Amino acid sequence: MRTRAILGSILASASVLIIGYQAGVSVTTGDGTSLTLPVGSTTSESVGTTADSRAISGPTDGTYTGSSISTRFGNVQVAVTITSGSISEVTALQLTDADGRSVQISNRAAPILRSEVLASQSAQVSNVSGATYTTRAYLGSLQSALDQAGA
Amino acid sequence: MRHVAQTMGTVASIELPSEWASELNAVERIFREVERRFSLYLPGSELSMIADGRLSLSEASDSLLSSYSRALEWRTATGGNFSPHRPDGAIDLNGIVKAEAIEQAGAQLTAAGCPQWSINVGGDILVSPTSGATNVATSSSEPLRAGIADPHNPTALLCSLELRHPRRAIATSGSAQRGDHIWRGGSTEPAQFVQVSVVANDIVTADVLATAIVAGGQDALDGVSDRWDVDVITVDRLGALHATPGLQSSLVRAQIT
Repeated sequence: MRTRAILGSILASASVLIIGYQAGVSVTTGDGTSLTLPVGSTTSESVGTTADSRAISGPTDGTYTGSSISTRFGNVQVAVTITSGSISEVTALQLTDADGRSVQISNRAAPILRSEVLASQSAQVSNVSGATYTTRAYLGSLQSALDQAGA
Repeated sequence: MRHVAQTMGTVASIELPSEWASELNAVERIFREVERRFSLYLPGSELSMIADGRLSLSEASDSLLSSYSRALEWRTATGGNFSPHRPDGAIDLNGIVKAEAIEQAGAQLTAAGCPQWSINVGGDILVSPTSGATNVATSSSEPLRAGIADPHNPTALLCSLELRHPRRAIATSGSAQRGDHIWRGGSTEPAQFVQVSVVANDIVTADVLATAIVAGGQDALDGVSDRWDVDVITVDRLGALHATPGLQSSLVRAQIT
């Protein structure tokens, strides 16, 4: 089916998700690099004919799965759902790091409240990370207390 | 057992099973060697001699050149937010050699077969590769919990988290303990973040990037979290917190028991 060929290729990246709607489309990723991605095996259709075919029939409703793409964030694979000729949903099927763990699409830091870390404050720890203390400042540090306790 | 020693202007705390106590000599030797070569407080150190012109860089040891070139690579990678140069141009490898010493000491313990250890030098922590690994049949494979100091209250923890393989390293930079000692490209504005902690797979990355974020503020924070596989938590001047998703998920949860 020609209509399948016009299905866009998609890449979920660091923080920006830009949806391409043409075969072999360029996708700008979160760090500003540009990639051209194939989808399935039907991407050899020329882009020039794509607009015509879309005008005639539009994409068939359904869910389409992109090929798995290896990125420096790990493997990325997404599925798109077409409803009434337009994309209604994009789902990440596979988003894993080099060790196969699932990863977040965006790694950016966001504001969190003190109350969100409160529960962890009273945990038993064996070491404290802090800005470098001098030998003298060490004596008054929490690390010094832990060391004396042999934690 | 816990071993405490003064080194590199600060204090090292090393935890390891008492059967491996003999390895502490090798670890202390590594620290002494780093101090002897890189301390700018020792007039006779190799780096001091380069700083005041007694020794030319072309005559420097391989180990000094290797640390310097690694620091220069980090300077490029962080867009200059991390730099091995003091404002007066002198080479200052303080920002990297402590982490390199921890890295070497950890490699020494692992090579000797020490099953579980942690090394904390001045608040930068590295734990053994086995920490938190689920496929190790030993009884002591609990993930190691590290607290992060609260820069606004030195007697309290900001939070605590679990260091588990491969996230074995945490480093914290800031102005809480040693004053505003990070050079920020000539900027006279107060630093946006008073404290930055970075959790990474290796201690040099954690240490360098924590310094780079303190120096570069919000832009550096976004750049680092986009480009490196690290977890970050920051404290700004007003005490507000920012954290990456990975950092939040590694926070120690409230204990049921």
